Amino acid sequence: MKLFKKKNELYLSDKQPLSSVGMVMLIISYVVLFAWSLAILWPLSDMIISAFNGRQEQYLMINTNFSFSLKHFDYLFNETLYFTWVKNTIFIAVVTAILTLIIVSFTGFAYSRYRFKGRKASLMAIMLIQTIPAFAGITAYFTMHSIISSIIPVFSRQMMLILIYAGGGIAGNTFILKGYIDSISTELDDAARIDGCSSMQVYRLIIMPIAKPMLAIIALWSFIGPFMDYLLPRVLLTSPESYTLAAGLFTLINDFRTLNQPAFAAGGLLTAVPIVALFIILQKQLVSGLSSGSVKG
Amino acid sequence: MNVILKNIGKKYEGREEFTLKNINLEIEDKDFCVILGPSGCGKTTLLRMIAGLNSITEGDLLFNNKRMNKVPSKDRDIAMVFQSYALYPHMTVYENMAFSLAMRKERKKVIDERVMEAAELLQIKQYLYSKPSDISGGQRQRVALGRAMVRKPSVFLMDEPLSNLDAKLREHMRVELVRLHKALGTTSIYVTHDQTEAMTMATKIVLMNDGKIQQAGKPDEFYNRPANIFVAKFIGSPTMNIIEGKMTGGKFVANHGLIVITPSPTDAEFLKAYEGKPVSVGIRPERFESGGQFGDTFTATIDVVEMLGKEKILYTRLENDSEIIISTPGHFAYAVDEVHSFGFDVGAIHFFCTETGIRIN
Repeated sequence: MKLFKKKNELYLSDKQPLSSVGMVMLIISYVVLFAWSLAILWPLSDMIISAFNGRQEQYLMINTNFSFSLKHFDYLFNETLYFTWVKNTIFIAVVTAILTLIIVSFTGFAYSRYRFKGRKASLMAIMLIQTIPAFAGITAYFTMHSIISSIIPVFSRQMMLILIYAGGGIAGNTFILKGYIDSISTELDDAARIDGCSSMQVYRLIIMPIAKPMLAIIALWSFIGPFMDYLLPRVLLTSPESYTLAAGLFTLINDFRTLNQPAFAAGGLLTAVPIVALFIILQKQLVSGLSSGSVKG
Repeated sequence: MNVILKNIGKKYEGREEFTLKNINLEIEDKDFCVILGPSGCGKTTLLRMIAGLNSITEGDLLFNNKRMNKVPSKDRDIAMVFQSYALYPHMTVYENMAFSLAMRKERKKVIDERVMEAAELLQIKQYLYSKPSDISGGQRQRVALGRAMVRKPSVFLMDEPLSNLDAKLREHMRVELVRLHKALGTTSIYVTHDQTEAMTMATKIVLMNDGKIQQAGKPDEFYNRPANIFVAKFIGSPTMNIIEGKMTGGKFVANHGLIVITPSPTDAEFLKAYEGKPVSVGIRPERFESGGQFGDTFTATIDVVEMLGKEKILYTRLENDSEIIISTPGHFAYAVDEVHSFGFDVGAIHFFCTETGIRIN
C-alpha cells in the first residue's frame, strides 16, 4: 500500500531521478564533504575549547579534563603585549585597506575607461609580476627601507610593511575592479559628463556607488591580509612592541621563555573579532552586490 | 540655437580611414533634425561629436556662430538622451533628474520646481522616489527625457531613444516627442535607423551612408525626390523598384527588354544628355496603375500576395523572373498565379544615372 502511494506522489524536481550509480556518487560526495568539514572544524573547536580550559597549562595536552576559566585570556592581556599587537595590526590593516582602495580606484577606473599607450602591456606586466610572491623581494625591501628612512626618519618598518601589503594588493585588485567597471555602461559616463561632471566626479558620484560591492570585497581582503601574514612582519619587524598579531602570537609557541600554548589559542580566537566586525559592517554592501545584479537586472 | 557643421571630419585613433569626412550641415533654430542611416554609417559618431563626447578631427562646429570644437560637453548647453537611457542606477528618479542642476549648484528650490514641472509634463510624478530598476522601460524612457529637459538646454540630442521600446509604445512616444519638441521649442537632433521615425517626426532629415551625407531636406522631398539610388531604396516600404536599362530613341528600355517607358516631356528634357547611356528607373510600388490601359504596360505573374488590410502588396515576376513589387488598394481582387498587365504613373518615375547613382530628373 505504501509503495503504491509513493508512486502517486508528484515528482517535482527538475532533475532526472537518481540512478543507482548516481545514488552511490551522491553518498560519496557527502562523505567527502563531511570529512572535509571535520578537517576544518575539529582543530577550530579544539582551539576554542583549549582557550577556555583552565586545566591546560603551558603545553597543550589533548585530554578530557575541562574546567571553564578565563585565565589564558588574563595571561594574554596582562603578561604579553597583546593589545599593542592588536593596535599595530589594526593600524596596518586599516591603512593598507584605505591605501589599496584609493589606488585601486584610480588604476581600475583608468584601465577600464581610458585608452593609452602601453595599456595592454602594463596590464600584462602587472599580471605577471603578481605571480612572484611578495617575500621574494625581501632584500630589496630592506634596502628600500634603509634608503627611505635615512631621508625621512619617521618612516618605520611598519610603514614599509603597509607599502608592501598595499603594493601587492594593487595588482590583483586592479584587475578585479577593472573587470567590474568594464561591465558598467560607458553611456553612464557620457551622461554624467554632459550633466557637468569632471572625470573625478564621474568616478566619485557615478561609478563608485555602483562598484560599491566590489570595493567592499577589496577592502575586506586587504584588511584581512595583515592579520594572516606571518612571514613579512616576522622578518621586517624587529622589536616585540612593533609586532603584528600573527608575529606576536607566534612568540607564544616557538620561544620556550614565553611559551604558553593555551594563550596562543585564546589570542588566535580573538584575532577573528576585528575581521568579523568589518564583515558585519560591510555585509549590506556585499550582499546587495550579490543580489542586485541578478534579481533586478 | 542654430547648429552649423562645416567640413567636419572624424578619424578614430588607430584607424586608417576617416569615419566621417566633409560633413556640411545647417540645422536651424527649433528644427527637429533626424539623422538617419543604416548601422555603421557614422550617425552616432556625428551626434557624439556635436555633444562633445568625441573629438572633432577637422572642420568647425558652430552653435549660434560660436566655435564649439574645444568646449567641454558640460559647457555646450546641450542635453542628451541615450539609447540605454543611462539612468544612474543608485539614484532615485528624482535624484536622476535633479543631478545635472545639482552639479551646476542650482538652488534647491529651483531644482525642485524644475523637476516637478518636468515630472508633471511627462506624467511620472508617482515614480519620483522609485529607483530606475523598479520602473518599466517606457517610464525609464520618460525619466531620461525628463532628465534632459530639466536643464532647459538649447540643443536636445537623442541617440535612438525609442529603439528599446515595444512597437505600440514606440508609436505613442513618437507622437509625444513631437509634442514635447513643440512645447519646448528647442533645437532637437535625433539619431535613428528607423525611416518611419524619421519621416514622421522630422522637420529636416539627414540621410547618411558610408560617412557621407546622401541627402538633407524635408521628409516629403525624401520620398518624392530622392537624390540618388541609395536614398530611393532606403526610404519607403516596400522598397522602391529599381530597373536598370538604357535610353534608346528617347525611350527607356530595360536591360531585359520587357519594360519600355516613355518619359514625360519634362523628364525627356533632362534625359536628352543620357541618350544611349545606362540609366536606372525607380518607381514606388504604389505608383503602378492596375489594368494597364494607359500608355506603356508590362505583364507580370503574381507570385505572393501580402494582405495588409488597407493595401495589398503584390510580389510579381516578369517573364525573365525579375521581381517587381506593386502595391494596390486592399479591396482590389488579385490572386496568386494570375497574370496581369500594369502601367506606370509617368509623372512619378525617378530617373537615375546607373554609374553614379545620381538623380537625373
